[in-house]
Amino acid sequence: MTEADSEIIKPEMLKAFVWLQMSDGSIQQVEQEVAMYCPFICQEIHSGMGSSKNYPISLPSRVNPPMLSLILDYCRFHQVPGRSNKERKSFDEKFVRMDTKRLCELTSAADSLQLKPLVDLTSRALARVIEGRTPEEIREIFHLPDDLTEEEKLEPIKNTMDDPRIRLLNRLYARKRKELKERERLKNVEVEEEHADERSVDDLLSFINGDNDDSKGSRTSKNKKKNRKRKDHHKTTPSNSTSSSSNAVDMNKKESNELDSVCSKPSLHGKLLTDVCHETKLLDTEDAGLAAEDEFDDCDLDDDIDPALKEKIDREVEDFARRLNSDWPERMQEILSLGQEKRPLRLTINGNGSLRR
Amino acid sequence: MEDLDRDFLSDLPQSIIETILTKLPIRDAVRTSILSNRWRYKWASMTHLVFDDRSATQFNDRMVVEDRIVNFITRFLFLHDGPIHKFSLSSSFLQSSPDIDQWLLFISRKDVKELILELGEGEWFRAPSCVFSCKNLMRLELVRCELDPPPNFKGFLCLKYLNLQQVLIPPDDIECLISSCPLLESLTLSYFDSLELTVRAPNLKYLILEGEFKDLCLANTPLLIAISVAMYMTDDIAEHFEQSSSCNFDKFLGGVPELERLIGHIYFTKYLSIGNGQRRSPITYHHLKFIELYQVSFDDVKEVLVVLQLIVNSPNLKALQISGSSNTSAATQAPDLQFWDEKFSTDCMLRQLKTVKLTDVSGVPHEMKFIKFLLEHSPSLEEMSITPSLYVTEGRLNMLIDLVCFRRASPQASIVFIHEPA
Repeated sequence: MTEADSEIIKPEMLKAFVWLQMSDGSIQQVEQEVAMYCPFICQEIHSGMGSSKNYPISLPSRVNPPMLSLILDYCRFHQVPGRSNKERKSFDEKFVRMDTKRLCELTSAADSLQLKPLVDLTSRALARVIEGRTPEEIREIFHLPDDLTEEEKLEPIKNTMDDPRIRLLNRLYARKRKELKERERLKNVEVEEEHADERSVDDLLSFINGDNDDSKGSRTSKNKKKNRKRKDHHKTTPSNSTSSSSNAVDMNKKESNELDSVCSKPSLHGKLLTDVCHETKLLDTEDAGLAAEDEFDDCDLDDDIDPALKEKIDREVEDFARRLNSDWPERMQEILSLGQEKRPLRLTINGNGSLRR
Repeated sequence: MEDLDRDFLSDLPQSIIETILTKLPIRDAVRTSILSNRWRYKWASMTHLVFDDRSATQFNDRMVVEDRIVNFITRFLFLHDGPIHKFSLSSSFLQSSPDIDQWLLFISRKDVKELILELGEGEWFRAPSCVFSCKNLMRLELVRCELDPPPNFKGFLCLKYLNLQQVLIPPDDIECLISSCPLLESLTLSYFDSLELTVRAPNLKYLILEGEFKDLCLANTPLLIAISVAMYMTDDIAEHFEQSSSCNFDKFLGGVPELERLIGHIYFTKYLSIGNGQRRSPITYHHLKFIELYQVSFDDVKEVLVVLQLIVNSPNLKALQISGSSNTSAATQAPDLQFWDEKFSTDCMLRQLKTVKLTDVSGVPHEMKFIKFLLEHSPSLEEMSITPSLYVTEGRLNMLIDLVCFRRASPQASIVFIHEPA
């Protein structure tokens, strides 16, 4: 053994090492003074473990090799007694710069090794990540499932201060809740919605073709009937729905006005069409909600057909309508197709119009 | 990779989640209820509650903000589930109100261990009697408060830390309160007026006093480790001092053998000098390592003697910091410098003294003799820094001339004269 060799070996021999075994079975050798910084490892050493390769200290399952190396880096720095508080703080700040997934894992690993200062440090870092962000952002960062039911989400936000924005949100949520309830009822009478949609397309067709006085007549008579029913129901329903519908109508008026200004070449057709489309659809869904039972009584013609067939008919009608409207700007087509959807208040039109609710 | 989509945060143990929530402003902690099903009520079992002015959005109207904070806290407590170990309320918007009394009643039933209250500058909050029924209280901090312990109050048997600042409490009651908390380890009293205080606290380790004290006596504090006193003077108190005959040094520092750190501000040394006979005090402070004395008047022989007495009885003194407040023009008669040569012989070496910092040095005779004394009696001295007083401009050269003559017991001592050119 040369002098150089012995010089290299000597410092190594003076340092004590401990053996650590991870959950995946791999065994690692670590300087004792560094590892002792972790209370868990310290305890294990005192009870005799870790002194040789055959008796390694089994680390808790939450500690995997990459986390262990991070923790050892932390321990290696902090176990040196001569460091100033400033140095330690600056090291800590750099140390916690990592993605949140690793932060969570590191917190978990440090906790299982009872390394409280590191747990505090990572918890603070995680708190900083959460602070000031919206729920959506937080869910995205931490991959939290968005599994609160619609109802739960719509419960008036408890406990936050009386922010006027929160109050407005609560009001909107109350309105939305009403609509949800209506939708619940609609689910049972899905037929009616289809029916409503179909009617709107039929109206379109009749308007375009200017024919079928009978159908029109029957439709209008039906509509008249519905109107009467609507009036009655309006008296009994709570003010919220009327306010929502009136709001919707207001919004639509605004939207159609915007549409006007946006579309350079619209025919009178277009405006009237969209008006009709929107209004009848809206009023119809509300109507459908309100007068669900009466629908059964009134329309025996259409409701006898089973829903599957109805859908098929709807689709065919849709296609036909689209073909008819093929010379219109695409925007109009979108409105049409959106008109088939069962979402009364959600009208998003992308493109130059950029109409949004 | 499936891993990327797993929810790592919610899997953390509840204790860590609580730690994280505690490190968030309480508003944000409550907002986590909307994140997901598992998070709906994680905030509601927090045990450390810290409310402050951030708990309500700021508005210009004080009344509105006050309302909001009150609403927030009331609803929070109503929805809270589980024990509450810490309740801290610091708000400049809140004044005394029945809401606060109700919160405290609620808290007192929840096994609270730490209570911190700091309210606004207006009408001082009067602590309701339920505060005194918090049996497990370990830490109590009150600012701008009226305390009136009920007659049957037996004390906080678990209290370790007491901090009263600007608190109105009948003088007898404050002594009773202190002595009825057997486990008390840290006591801080600030901004008290004309208080005569005798401290009896067998487990007390840390004492911080600041205010106008007529009389201070540490009657039973054998375990005291650190003392910091700032004594303000009023005419009232000065008169009282003149008439006093007891030896303040013994009264205050007579029973603290374990003392490690002593800090005295403003009139502290003056206070200690009263009634002090020129004899060596029987007690030796074996553990006293750090002494900081501010505004020591080197014109006054008695104060100088107090400082010397302290130093000479602290064989293990490591660091000394003294700021002077001497008036060079006031010296009309030649001071009696004889005692310097007589009293303090070489057997009182300060073998551990390494750093000395002297500020506001005016260069009055006693001061220079003091510096000479220090240099001659500290064989391990490493650095002595001297900052002359701003008011002394011409005397600096004389100071330096004297300094250069002084013999140094320590070969490695360096004297740093901090001179900022005008």
